[in-house]
Amino acid sequence: MVHTNSQELLVNYILANKEAYYRLAYSYTRNQDDALDIVQESVLKAMSSMRAPQKPEEIKPWFYRIVVNTSLDLLRKNKWVDQRGEKALEICSSSEDTHQELDLYKALDSLPINYRSIIVLKYFEDLTFEEIATILDENVNTVKTRLYSALKKLRLQLED
Amino acid sequence: MTDPKLSKFKDEYMNIPIPHELPSTVHKSIQKGERIRMRKNRLIKWAGAAAAMVLIFTATLNLSPAAVQALSDVPIIKNIVSVLTIREYNLDEDNYNANLKVPAVKGLNNQELASSLNDKYLAENKKLYQEFVKDIEEMKANGSGGHMGVDSGYVVKTDNEQILSIGRWVVNTAGSSSTTMKYDTIDKEREVLITLPSLFRDGNYVNVISQNIEQQMRQQMKADPNKMYWVSGTDEEQYFEPFKKIAKNQNFYINNKGKLVISFDKYEVAPGYMGVVEFVIPTDTIAKLLVSNEYIK
Repeated sequence: MVHTNSQELLVNYILANKEAYYRLAYSYTRNQDDALDIVQESVLKAMSSMRAPQKPEEIKPWFYRIVVNTSLDLLRKNKWVDQRGEKALEICSSSEDTHQELDLYKALDSLPINYRSIIVLKYFEDLTFEEIATILDENVNTVKTRLYSALKKLRLQLED
Repeated sequence: MTDPKLSKFKDEYMNIPIPHELPSTVHKSIQKGERIRMRKNRLIKWAGAAAAMVLIFTATLNLSPAAVQALSDVPIIKNIVSVLTIREYNLDEDNYNANLKVPAVKGLNNQELASSLNDKYLAENKKLYQEFVKDIEEMKANGSGGHMGVDSGYVVKTDNEQILSIGRWVVNTAGSSSTTMKYDTIDKEREVLITLPSLFRDGNYVNVISQNIEQQMRQQMKADPNKMYWVSGTDEEQYFEPFKKIAKNQNFYINNKGKLVISFDKYEVAPGYMGVVEFVIPTDTIAKLLVSNEYIK
């Protein structure tokens, strides 16, 4: 057989978790076609990589990092991200997506994009601070600080 | 998560609709990514392993004539049927390389069988080489600089008193790589080539073996989620033709324990990462169909 063990692990992971990382991609794009593009590109990047992790527990954060970065790249390319930085995400007003009106998105949209990633990864994808730090290439303390200020902002908003 | 609002958000998040084309998108990307990775690897690991086996085998024969000599002193083995590399084709240019090894069967008294096998091997490798040379000329003419290569070699699967099974593999690299494997099994005592239909009373074996393989595929997938075969009733069915039946002359060999082994090329019944796959057919499954238990035990 042609495959190495780490390659097997990766394929297995990619097949078993496709819905989870699709949702993650969708939480950035709010659009099915773009989310599928991100999935396609992320899987391609991961599968063709020569540096896939050997340890099973490292696969998820490694793969999520690819998905998050691919999503951010796409957002930047589509100029959805505010030019002044990562301040706010502007949803295209032309988007016909019916889910746009969900509270979830309203709340997430009030957050800077890297705060948003933390909320999604921590509360919806149940990742640890260490894993999130790896994914976002930040240190653990930064992640924690950002999470708390993100939560604070969300609460303020919820009280409105 | 204590905040009820957050858990409501999570519910919304978990309810993000999953498009039905997601599995096919993922599958296609896996295969495409895998091909890119293989191109990076240039020579796939399996081919490397097979080449190593060939090396060991020829080295044993070449380095230890005493071992061969000792065998021929055993009275039961009247003639030593052996396999040696007789000819190699090599071509090495910047982006193009070919390395073809031609096995030769020696020691068969049945010259007709020996020469028909050897002629066949030689002819096939010659053809491979010619196709390859033609391909690279076309590529050069078109000015495309892709990587192309062809490697072939052989592996001796079984070599006991009665049976010799030789597998010859070809790895074609043209951007992506594909691997094919062809087996020949001969009865060294009777000096005949054994074909799959010749082992069985009638054509029923196709169905019986196919059913057994399908069963094995399902069991393997159940036991090990890393394994994937294209069988009916799975997610894969909508994207790939599921496995139904083996061919009448499906690739096979007989292993050292006298078991029938059915082999499939890369991509034949499973995604590329599974490589060349083999199934050992339990003898009791096919016992009633066999002409005799001479080869299959």
